[in-house]
Amino acid sequence: MNDSDSDDDNVIRYGTPLEPFEEDELPSKRKFQQPSDQYAVDSHGRRRFHGAFTGGFSAGFGNTVGTQEGWTPASFKSSRSEKAQLSSQKAEDFMDDEDRSEFGIAPRHMQTQHEFSGQKRKLQQRYHDGPIPGEPVLERLLKAVHETAAVRMLRAMGWRPGQGTGDRVTRAEKLRAKQQHKVYGCYMPQEMKPTQDPASDNDSSDSDFDYETLFAPDDYEPYILSHKSDKFGLGYSGLSRHSVLGTLMGEYGSDASSSRSHLVMKEKGKKVSIRGHAFGVGAFEADDEDIYAAEDMSHYDFTLGAATEDKQKKKVKEMGVNVLEGYVRASKPLPQVPFYPPPALPKDYKPAAAGSRRSRFEPSDQPQRDQGLGRHELTAEARGSLLGETPVPKVPDTTTQPNMPPTEDPIAKLLGRNVNFVSNSDDKTELDYIPIKDSEKPISKVFRPFMNNPKKQKRYELYLKDRDSYMKEGDAEMDRLSEWERNREIVEFEQAAKLYKPLTGVMSDRFTHASEPDEALNPLCAVAKSSTNYGLATPEQIDAAKRGLFGVMTRREVPWRPESLVCKRFNIPEPGGARPEATKEDKPKVSYSIFSYLESSVHDKDSFAKEQSKFSGSKSLNTPNTSKEQDKSIILTASTVNEYNKKDNKTASEIKESHTGFTKRLTVAELFLKESEKDLKDKEQGIEVTETIDKFDKMDLYKAIFLSDSEDEVTSNTEENRDSTNTNEFIDVPKNVQRNTSPPRGIFANIDFDELNSWKRNTDNKQTNEKEAASSANVTDNANVASKDVNIDNIQVIEETYGPKIPDNIRKKLEGDNKSEDSNLKPVFRSQSERDKEILEIDSSSSSDSWVEVKSKKEKKKKSKKHKSKHKKSKHKKKSRS
Amino acid sequence: MNVMTELTTLTTLKCKQQAIRAVRFNIDGTYCLTCGADKKIKLWNPHRELLLKTYGGHANEVLDAAGSCDSSYIVSGSADKSVILWDVTTGQPIRRYRGQASSITCVRFNEESTMAVSGSIDNTVAFWDVVSRRQEPVQLLKDAKDTITSIQVTDHEVMTTSVDCHVRLYDIRVGKMISDYIGDVITYGSMTHDGQCYILSCSDGTIKLFDKDSGELLNTFKGHESSDYLLENAVNEKDSHIISGSATGEVFYWDLISSSCTQKLVHTTNKPTISLSHHPTENYLLTACEDEIKLWGVRREEN
Repeated sequence: MNDSDSDDDNVIRYGTPLEPFEEDELPSKRKFQQPSDQYAVDSHGRRRFHGAFTGGFSAGFGNTVGTQEGWTPASFKSSRSEKAQLSSQKAEDFMDDEDRSEFGIAPRHMQTQHEFSGQKRKLQQRYHDGPIPGEPVLERLLKAVHETAAVRMLRAMGWRPGQGTGDRVTRAEKLRAKQQHKVYGCYMPQEMKPTQDPASDNDSSDSDFDYETLFAPDDYEPYILSHKSDKFGLGYSGLSRHSVLGTLMGEYGSDASSSRSHLVMKEKGKKVSIRGHAFGVGAFEADDEDIYAAEDMSHYDFTLGAATEDKQKKKVKEMGVNVLEGYVRASKPLPQVPFYPPPALPKDYKPAAAGSRRSRFEPSDQPQRDQGLGRHELTAEARGSLLGETPVPKVPDTTTQPNMPPTEDPIAKLLGRNVNFVSNSDDKTELDYIPIKDSEKPISKVFRPFMNNPKKQKRYELYLKDRDSYMKEGDAEMDRLSEWERNREIVEFEQAAKLYKPLTGVMSDRFTHASEPDEALNPLCAVAKSSTNYGLATPEQIDAAKRGLFGVMTRREVPWRPESLVCKRFNIPEPGGARPEATKEDKPKVSYSIFSYLESSVHDKDSFAKEQSKFSGSKSLNTPNTSKEQDKSIILTASTVNEYNKKDNKTASEIKESHTGFTKRLTVAELFLKESEKDLKDKEQGIEVTETIDKFDKMDLYKAIFLSDSEDEVTSNTEENRDSTNTNEFIDVPKNVQRNTSPPRGIFANIDFDELNSWKRNTDNKQTNEKEAASSANVTDNANVASKDVNIDNIQVIEETYGPKIPDNIRKKLEGDNKSEDSNLKPVFRSQSERDKEILEIDSSSSSDSWVEVKSKKEKKKKSKKHKSKHKKSKHKKKSRS
Repeated sequence: MNVMTELTTLTTLKCKQQAIRAVRFNIDGTYCLTCGADKKIKLWNPHRELLLKTYGGHANEVLDAAGSCDSSYIVSGSADKSVILWDVTTGQPIRRYRGQASSITCVRFNEESTMAVSGSIDNTVAFWDVVSRRQEPVQLLKDAKDTITSIQVTDHEVMTTSVDCHVRLYDIRVGKMISDYIGDVITYGSMTHDGQCYILSCSDGTIKLFDKDSGELLNTFKGHESSDYLLENAVNEKDSHIISGSATGEVFYWDLISSSCTQKLVHTTNKPTISLSHHPTENYLLTACEDEIKLWGVRREEN
């Protein structure tokens, strides 16, 4: 054929060729096994395991009964020659050999008969009917120790306990036997053995036993139990380094062949050892190397040679001296019994006779030592120095100036004078506190919060002294601080003043002056009545009361705010109108702790402010005055507003609702209101009042009332608004806030807004030029904007029922117009009179007006706008409506 | 005086309440409440000498009580720091208010009995909403610097007297608090029926009549002995006489205008008559002394 064939012919092959090895292929760990090798066979070469279909485990033909027939029911045969025998069947009859083997289900093993096992056969217990029925108690308590049969036999043969077994030997023989000692287990190292001097040994004994006597051989040495020195259970060896499954690398006998598991147990004299890994190795798998074996450095020898061994040997040899016969010197010294020294006697201990008891109430000659760690013996300075603090330089105290009149002391004022805590005068030495004077007595100390910054502390004190003037002027040092810093510091001071207002101040409204000092010794002594209470009354008041001049002198009026619920329950309208915040603080926390009472006076702002005002001076009652002023202003505003109300009923009602009532909290709004009124007076146009008002504070109310139904809708007209405001850069009413910026859709799609806007821009620009005051311009602009929205107004006329009814014919017309436009236009609030005018104008204007016409009219409009916004409105209306 | 006919003891009730801390007529004067040191409140018909009900539930002495305008509720304040609202017919406490830190010394309903006002030794006056289930006070007045001794509630005002020598008038209608320094510890304050005057019992043994609007002293009534007792006062139904108990066990009647003592009733000699209550419309007076209350009135001719 070809070359290759010829090559093949030339080569002679033996055996089966290896499979071609491919480099890509990973060499499989498992070797290829012949199919025949894949069956496990028993010792007879029979297959051990069968598949489930062939009978399962060691069952079926071939290895069950051992016959071809297998299990065949035995037929009963009985003939004359062969009589049928009663055969009893045993379980073993149905077992294989393997079952009886070591691993079988009924392994056979040798065992001592029960009668030789040392257990006495239980006699049939027969309890005689004595006075005490049942098993005799004594019999239960005492149980005879039975010797095994072997022991009994040995005894019979002349063996005595303590002797060895075997033939009797002569002494010489015995000695010899001792020399070549038979050791069970392993030999003791030769060196460990006590170096017996056989000569000396012989000397003593030879004299006694000259004659030929036979001795029983020595008993084998009993196993010496090691001294147990730990507290673990018997047999416990601590955590060994051996893994349960593996052996230690380098351990004795850990070579591959004889790898011993620790799972070796002795069972009734027979060793059963489990080899290999629990389930990891199959019947045909070669044992892996011990994968669980752990290496340990202690198994390595780090030294060269046998030097250490020698040393040990020497040591052992030395130790072996002076040991009693029959004893082995302990390799380990006995654990030392720990030695506890007796407790040291206290220095001041005096041994006293046990009988003489000392009463603890007897006065001791020793000075009483302070309880605790003696911290209290130290002064603050000493403690500070111990802690390594640098002592703070003494601040020249501004508040402790002796010439300062006590009533002007700010802190005293702040705290109130009705404080019952008396401090010693030597407190002045302490650094951390500002002594406070009250009626010639330093009554309290205020913590200095800004200790580490003396300057700041100084400023703080100044602040406390006179808040207002400090805020206004500051002091020389303040100039160095920036405005922002200053403001921050003031806030900080405020907080600190609140926070470090001492307890006395906090409790000031809970306590009054003690008119007399408490008698410490006799708590039961009656305290005199405090008929003169200076807690609140000013000296003037007291004086007036003494002279019987009651009235103005003794009277004080303070604004007081009843809770809304109180008013409700008393059926009284709330003074000052409804509070907007009332709903928020609807649910105050309830706590009955004492702290709530303590803190309440400081932590709510009102009371704090009240406190301040209360103590801000007896000469002038600031708060009532200011409140009166406010009252006046409010009345003023209310009255002015009322003027406009006549013109515009709706507006008036609106304003009344929000503003006629007097509240302190509305001051800002009121200020605005006043301003707006000024503007209005200038212009003498009362109509736009609402538009200025709504700018300021009642946005939400306004919205809620007027913008509610069309708030999210966007109209061309709001866009106009937006544009106008943008160009004018005015802060406008929030109508435009929710403006939709998307391009016009639907019916608006065809309207040229740009053009409209451009027109508007022009007008607005002009407007701004003409108007000087921004606010007034704003007002008019708003009005202007409103005026442009004719369609909106129309809707408003229809929807809102204020004012007189619109004639039906007009309404129809308007409705028709609205249908073409968007019906959801945002209504802009305008006064009724305005609207009435518009209606009239609408009436007069022809419906045939077109967009083109509007453009042509633009010029005219601009001119007219200069003079009157009202006038121009009507014209715009016409334009946009048509 | 011809106006004042002689008052005599009509009935005497032994309350068996250890000591009567307060005796109060109800709204129309047919019943009365006695607050005892035995922690109980008793409802009586003093005219018929009938004990109607006993209200137990306080943990300490009951110091004051008041009946509602429809006589269906009682509000009481006790030394156990709680205010209890009672149902008159069942005798069960409906609500218990624990918002004040110390003993409740005085308690009142407002005109429509929708709100209870209590004063305490902790210097506060608390408004309790009786209608809702709210447990915390609707409002706390913390102006007083000492124990509140008495409260009077009108349709739009709350008057409080305090040991700090001040009488305070909270005007709900105006939103104002007017405080008057009296110069003496006020043990009890009441108002005349026309609402124009304060009648203030002071611890210096006087009763002072003040004009409410101006705060001026109108009259001073003396003669009784106050010692250290928190003597109460009252004004008769015609606003013609001021009535006060005394430490001596007498009850004084003064003419409001002339400030002359017109009548002295002896309850129990040398036992302080502290609490008293005048019938709102008729000439009846209830006085309490120890555990005994007496109803005084004009004995009719036919009796």
